[in-house]
Amino acid sequence: MMADGGGEAGEVPPPPLEGLQLVQQGAEARLYRGRFLGRAAVAKLRFPKRYRHPALEERLSRRRTTQEARALLRCRRAGISAPVVYFVDYVSNCIYLEDIVGSTTVRDYITSVQQSGKDTSNLFLLAEKIGEALARMHDEDLIHGDLTTSNMLLRPPAEELDLVLIDFGLSFISGLPEDKGVDLYVLEKAFLSTHPNTDMLFEALLKKYSTTSKKSSPVIKKLDEVRLRGRKRSMVG
Amino acid sequence: MFINTLGLAVVYWFKTNPLFCYKMQHFTHQLELFPDCSVTLILFNDVKNAAALRKKAMEGSIDGALINPAMIVDPFQILVATNKAVHLHRIGKMKTRTLYTEIIFNLSPNNNISDALKKFGISDSDSAVLIVLIEDREKTVNLDGIISEVEGQQVSLTELHKITDTAKVKKMYKLTPQEEKIGTLLDGIICRMSTKDTA
Repeated sequence: MMADGGGEAGEVPPPPLEGLQLVQQGAEARLYRGRFLGRAAVAKLRFPKRYRHPALEERLSRRRTTQEARALLRCRRAGISAPVVYFVDYVSNCIYLEDIVGSTTVRDYITSVQQSGKDTSNLFLLAEKIGEALARMHDEDLIHGDLTTSNMLLRPPAEELDLVLIDFGLSFISGLPEDKGVDLYVLEKAFLSTHPNTDMLFEALLKKYSTTSKKSSPVIKKLDEVRLRGRKRSMVG
Repeated sequence: MFINTLGLAVVYWFKTNPLFCYKMQHFTHQLELFPDCSVTLILFNDVKNAAALRKKAMEGSIDGALINPAMIVDPFQILVATNKAVHLHRIGKMKTRTLYTEIIFNLSPNNNISDALKKFGISDSDSAVLIVLIEDREKTVNLDGIISEVEGQQVSLTELHKITDTAKVKKMYKLTPQEEKIGTLLDGIICRMSTKDTA
């Protein structure tokens, strides 16, 4: 996520939490860490984008915040690990969530295992865990919308592969295999571009997805179709 | 010298350990988002006058929220409900008529106000009562006054787990079996409380 320039972001004050630290400045929102109501928490503050018309801005931010909160609840109800929501502030479009203290992103974990040259069999297990979690998520008709390995966390110790999904700002509800296929396609592109030589890993992920999800075959079919559609792909003939 | 340092360490541990911020048995927390506002929780057991207290609460003569502690799993649950209530109160968007009924309503996993007040508020036959008091620039809290109104034994918040009716709580919040695998009962409760207006 590229930083969007201090301009509009600088006008929105950070939440007054104890021990506040800015963790990440994204294109859409700023992530802070701090203590909230006696617990380690993360505050995700969506800030206004000045190039947007104010009416649209208000609605869009509000909608993304709502969708995120709703998706997190749906995930948990389905047994998919996602942060607990502590408080949703619809005025400043800020969500206060559980902080997974000491977590590692799946992205960092894969990179470090590959770089260390250690045994990669754990990576295959991780791929299966991801496939399984996504299958359960899609079976709930929940589309993440922004699947990347940076949006997946591992609770400490990382080797135990206790997966937590995060960042549901672009999520929505849909039963369509097309939407689920696209969700997987987004992950595939992100996965293969961020982590070189991981084709087999991703294949293992998809395999586990297919065996876990009850509605997987139309989804995989759509995934194949979408792959053919992608950028720089000729749709001729 | 060593004894001194040890003594200091013990005192330091007591003062910073969250369990011991329960001065005199009650529990106070200053709301981060509303720094002028602090929340105090007082727990009573062996209460004899629940009916009279409930009447006073309905009349508005008790300046606090009277909650059934059997439905409460952890003080955090109350803090989450209170934080949301104060937030909505300050922007004039409460769903109920008073700050105290709003706190009780926020504990509920659904949007039915009268059901929430019945299930989470106290009933005439209750023998335990949890009182939530709010103090801000406009209002100071008369702790001793409130305590004197209750015919019962004030106990520390650490005793809460003995009073909680876990079966009743599980039934009320309807946690799914899959959910129990990925988190605690409290996690499931908090999630429902904070996102019930998105459902």
